[in-house]
Amino acid sequence: MVFGTPSGAAGGSRSRPLPSRRSLLRAASGLGAGALAGGALTGCSQRSSSAARVRIWSWLSGMDQYVAAFNSAQRDIHVQLSSIAAGVSGGYAQLANAIRAHNAPDILHTEYQALPQILTTGGLRDLTDDMADLADGFLPAAWRGVRPGGRTWAVPMDFCPMTFFYRKDLYDEAGIGAPRTWEEFARAATAVRRADPEARIATFPINDGAFFAGMAWQTGDPWWRIAANSWQVGIDGEGTMALAGYWQDLIASGKVAHTAVATQSWASAIHRGKLWGMLGATWGVGTIKRSLAADKGRWALTTMPTWGDRQANGVFGGSAFGVSAESEVPEAALTFLRWLATDPAVPRIGARLTFPSPAWAANRKVARAAYQDDFFTGEPIFDVLDRAAVRVPEWTWGPTSLSVFSAVADVLAPVPTGGTTVPRAMHKLQSSTVAMMRDRGLAVADGGRT
Amino acid sequence: MTTTVTSSQPAHPAPPARTQPPAPPARPARRRRSTGAGLAAPFAVLLLCTVLVPVGYAAWLSLFTDRLSGLGLGGYRQVFAGLATYATVLTDPAAHASAAHVAGYALIHIPVMFAVALLIALLLNSATVRLRQVWTLAVFLPYAVPGVIAGLIWAYLYSPGIGPLSATPPVDPLSDTGVLPSIVNMATWQWTGYNVIIFYTALQTVPREVLEAARADGAGPLRTALSIKVPMIRPTLFVALVFTTIGSLQLFTEPMVLRTFTSTVTSTWTPSLYIYEAAFISNDYGRAAAASILLAIASALLSALVMRLSARKSR
Repeated sequence: MVFGTPSGAAGGSRSRPLPSRRSLLRAASGLGAGALAGGALTGCSQRSSSAARVRIWSWLSGMDQYVAAFNSAQRDIHVQLSSIAAGVSGGYAQLANAIRAHNAPDILHTEYQALPQILTTGGLRDLTDDMADLADGFLPAAWRGVRPGGRTWAVPMDFCPMTFFYRKDLYDEAGIGAPRTWEEFARAATAVRRADPEARIATFPINDGAFFAGMAWQTGDPWWRIAANSWQVGIDGEGTMALAGYWQDLIASGKVAHTAVATQSWASAIHRGKLWGMLGATWGVGTIKRSLAADKGRWALTTMPTWGDRQANGVFGGSAFGVSAESEVPEAALTFLRWLATDPAVPRIGARLTFPSPAWAANRKVARAAYQDDFFTGEPIFDVLDRAAVRVPEWTWGPTSLSVFSAVADVLAPVPTGGTTVPRAMHKLQSSTVAMMRDRGLAVADGGRT
Repeated sequence: MTTTVTSSQPAHPAPPARTQPPAPPARPARRRRSTGAGLAAPFAVLLLCTVLVPVGYAAWLSLFTDRLSGLGLGGYRQVFAGLATYATVLTDPAAHASAAHVAGYALIHIPVMFAVALLIALLLNSATVRLRQVWTLAVFLPYAVPGVIAGLIWAYLYSPGIGPLSATPPVDPLSDTGVLPSIVNMATWQWTGYNVIIFYTALQTVPREVLEAARADGAGPLRTALSIKVPMIRPTLFVALVFTTIGSLQLFTEPMVLRTFTSTVTSTWTPSLYIYEAAFISNDYGRAAAASILLAIASALLSALVMRLSARKSR
């Protein structure tokens, strides 16, 4: 039972007068550090019967630990976590259905790319005024990500700039340097194949729309823009078309693999040294370290290769949390979210479980101090990631982003066999996206930017 | 266990004190009627709650669509769309492609599976076979494997770099030419045993006298199988055909599993995937409901066609 009253919590807690936000904030401030020092993360044992009960649905790994730390450190708010399926694997469907059925939890997990699509359900609370005081503390790109249309709709938690992971040992052996530009990347791709005809520099996963969008993000030519209260769609804009042409050449000439990432055959290729790198993002630090424990000291990471000398980095992933428009305890929900986003205890817990990549700028130093890295070689990982995190260009996600992601995978599917080309697929995606948005009643400005 | 029998069971010979008084014996007809209604009630309630109401709700939903306006960030308005959602589905190239995929799938899968299942059933039914129960179990076993598990294992077998089947067949099993045969193979592996059991059970009911008469008339085992056994289980074959046809239209698990392994299987590869995408990725419930109703109608029409075919053949 997702909505069941937990044993011990008074059923009528919702109707009681809520403590003011100020007093809650006071209660919550600094509590994480105390909880950690005590090492008592286990329990929600002595919760008072007047505690505001806040329900949260999330698939963030480690969320149970964050919630436990928060609950054990104060008595005014009791957060109740339901772990749901990750995003497009069912999580968003569940959220959308709950919003329609008017029984959404108080806090909803949303990734930046899904936020505008979730907003079309009308289910999120406008947090503009509540969050205004935190505006300057977040990474600018993360803050922009929770403000589609100029209002604040969610609280950023983590943020994942893209990075390039590569096998430094094999690169050194073959005399290849880490590619700094995409031109160098193409040359490195040739060099890798010359060193081992079966090996490829990396895979360009054509079944992952979010990946392709992250690559397009780097070109500084967003797929969506908002102008004069209507959407401008630029999926076949100049930047994306240049990107499309570049990868079309690499795929057609067999210099990169094009299979999915994180499947068994991908892992097998990585293990056997047949893939020398991964085009990924911050989360790859945890993934690679966990799944390739034997490769300690062989991998390095660097910022994404750039287009010419334009220093820019795309983004691939990251979570934020919204508050339900129908929540009866929005203040308590916000108190928890402000703690989750900004308290230094959170990245300290995160550092023990996975790899923390906070959107709250001050917490990046905390994460750097807390995370013990003995796996990667080369430049320290936080140097790379902090550099990447602050050179993220403008980007706006659209109100149909999730459908567009599955459409990207669909239109790119015939590319490997020559059934279409990446540029042609992008033109097709542009027209189908505009048609779909118009079909749903959205205002879409005429004329792409090609 | 008799002590745990509750008082609500009227058939109990010695009802405990709390039971209702027995109906007066003077009105047997009404009693029979109410007994019938009582016995049918659980089924009727289940049918109502799990089939009729959801179908009715889907039909109702299919008449509406969510209209966004402006930037769409303020939420949607549900508006009456009439049959426009149906028109959207019927004119959608992705929907046509998904129909073509299941048609191709059914045209290969059904004949292949029926031929193999019938052959195995006839062999099991023939007098000469040894270890009959072992074979029956072995043939049936794939059906006992959950579809998703089977799908994953096949997907691993097809995967380049780790699967032995990746390089063996003439075409890459995950390429756009190879993926349809791959899915047919997965489904055939899974469902053949199930049909063998149905056919084999039907073959057991063929009267011995008929088979003996055929033998007396000089029919060999092959002739007996083709001219006596197969025609006599024709009704069973047609029932199985109806099931398989409907199952083919609803093809979902195998392509869904393969989707994470190959981009060849698109998000709208079969009608069921199309509906899934519309409902759970695009949040377009009106279109999803319309597509579901259309799929149900197509299934009903095809089943009716198969049943009519069976009636004509057996005349």
